[in-house]
Amino acid sequence: MDRWQYLTVLGACLLITAPLELFGRGVYRQPGRALAAILPVAAVYLIWDGIAVAAHIWSFNPRYILGVVAPGDLPAEEVLFFVVIPLCALLTYSAVDSMLSVLRRRLAEVKRR
Amino acid sequence: MSGLGYTIPAVLAVVAVCALEFGVLRTGLFRRPAYWISMVIVIGFQILVDGWLTKLSAPIVIYDDRQTIGIRFPFDIPFEDFFFGFALVTAVLLLWERRRHRPDGSEQL
Repeated sequence: MDRWQYLTVLGACLLITAPLELFGRGVYRQPGRALAAILPVAAVYLIWDGIAVAAHIWSFNPRYILGVVAPGDLPAEEVLFFVVIPLCALLTYSAVDSMLSVLRRRLAEVKRR
Repeated sequence: MSGLGYTIPAVLAVVAVCALEFGVLRTGLFRRPAYWISMVIVIGFQILVDGWLTKLSAPIVIYDDRQTIGIRFPFDIPFEDFFFGFALVTAVLLLWERRRHRPDGSEQL
């Protein structure tokens, strides 16, 4: 079971942030915009990550990963990390942004009265 | 500490992201309160997730101590991870913001 740890952590991140989709225009409902934001950054980070692993700057504990290897000698979980964490960040930002917009609109209405 | 193979790229990533905003994209993200509130929330959750990934008692990610500045706080998180995470999240939000829908329906490019 230990080998599922890294994947479980990522799954928990997606689960916890999923309700944020309900706020405003959401993130999952704008898949093109989300992918255009996530993929270029993920590509740069995967190159960095691959170099760091090749240079032994960091490594992954085989006890806590499934052992599925992606190109660049990176665990599949690590590749998913660069999609999951940005998704969580986008959901957070999108939700905070729409809450602030609602708040601003309400304040403007109150002032007008 | 000798190589700084993590510290230097992590700092450079932050510099690169700031250069991307101020030199190229100019989205105004850094002037938006929503960005700073989100970053506080993101860093709060980063401490939990990253703390779990890097805890020295049972690490999922193992760092070569010679490649970092050696500060591991809070929990056992290498200090560099906060630069790594800040640059990662900010870069994604910048690209997201670039395609913000204006209230009139047009898109900012």
